[in-house]
Amino acid sequence: MSAYIIPILFLLVLLASFIKKRDPYGGFIGGARQAVDLTISVFPYLLAVMVAVEAFRVSGASAMLADALAPVLNKAGLPKELAELLFLRPVSGAGSLAVLDGIYTQYGADSYIGRCASVIYGSSETVFYIATIYFSQSKVKRLRYAIPVALVATYTGCIVGCFLLRFF
Amino acid sequence: MAIIWLIMLVASLGLTLFTDPAASVNAMITGAHSAVELSLNLMALYAFWLGFFALIERLGLSRGLERLLRPVIKRLFPSSDTETRKYITMNVSANLLGLGNAATPMAINAIKRMDTGGTRATTDMIMLTVISATSLQLLPTTVIGMRATAGSANPSDFLFPSLIATVLSTLIGIIGVKICSKIFDRKKPAEPTTAPALFEDTESREPRRKRALRKSSHGKAQRHSKRGITVAAEPAATEAKR
Repeated sequence: MSAYIIPILFLLVLLASFIKKRDPYGGFIGGARQAVDLTISVFPYLLAVMVAVEAFRVSGASAMLADALAPVLNKAGLPKELAELLFLRPVSGAGSLAVLDGIYTQYGADSYIGRCASVIYGSSETVFYIATIYFSQSKVKRLRYAIPVALVATYTGCIVGCFLLRFF
Repeated sequence: MAIIWLIMLVASLGLTLFTDPAASVNAMITGAHSAVELSLNLMALYAFWLGFFALIERLGLSRGLERLLRPVIKRLFPSSDTETRKYITMNVSANLLGLGNAATPMAINAIKRMDTGGTRATTDMIMLTVISATSLQLLPTTVIGMRATAGSANPSDFLFPSLIATVLSTLIGIIGVKICSKIFDRKKPAEPTTAPALFEDTESREPRRKRALRKSSHGKAQRHSKRGITVAAEPAATEAKR
């Protein structure tokens, strides 16, 4: 179903622009041009995050943190094998995808751990990444309670989602 | 973010000093490489979607969408103007369609328009960040695809709990921002009021002085009561010692 939405939307917009004589070609070029500046201003932030995430993962610091968090996870009803995924998911999309893939091969996609990992990855977003990139073109440095609120909301959703998994 | 970044790097570098010092440098360079790759990929995606959004803009569709969603958006972003709301509605719509990378440029534009020049994020900025960071993932296609590749018997059997989780996280995020803004925003002196104060006449200054007086007397009363507490607390402490 959702595979049709975007192409149909695209088709309708193109046809409407043509019929209303709004120069679809020129409009598309003008919009696409903004992407260059945007990418350049986003790039240093992206680089800083990814350098730190990769170092954190390869050094084993991420696994150590995951071990330290395991007791907390057990209290929340989440398998302790998912600690690294839970930690990396808000930081890096690519990094957590690698962890998710590892979980599928190690425990199986249909195991409780595998399904729980699917809920965690499928229901959440890269909180830190979004917070960094969204403010990349403004002077704002202090995000105040934005990240804590987003993290609490995300993790509460994950805990409830994994709890519900036991009944489905 | 700056502190978390620093902690992550210091911790990993410190740790690899004991295990494999060369590995950390390699890892960081790998990270830098994948950042270049990712931003090139993102540039392609941004260009594509910004081109498409420009067409939508020219047709006036974004204005229509803004008008349609205005009651909801205005409630969530009380100090937004029409242009900002247009970007917000586009951002939210793109997120709902599962196009996170198309949503990003719209959010950056919205934040730029909300910018007051200060370094503190406004409540509206925080709301936009939290809504996007907890955004509804109606169809997590990446996960379904990966489970299918991993040989799952029913790759989409986690969808219902996942849907509940994503809806719940969005709701908690919105409520959380509303609560936090009530708690934290009261303390901050309202920045915009300093500008009109220049044009204030004596008449409006009068109540302000009164307010100041009331405030100072209130402060005195508080100090008194504080002293009262400490005085009262001392005998209690000595009693406890006995």
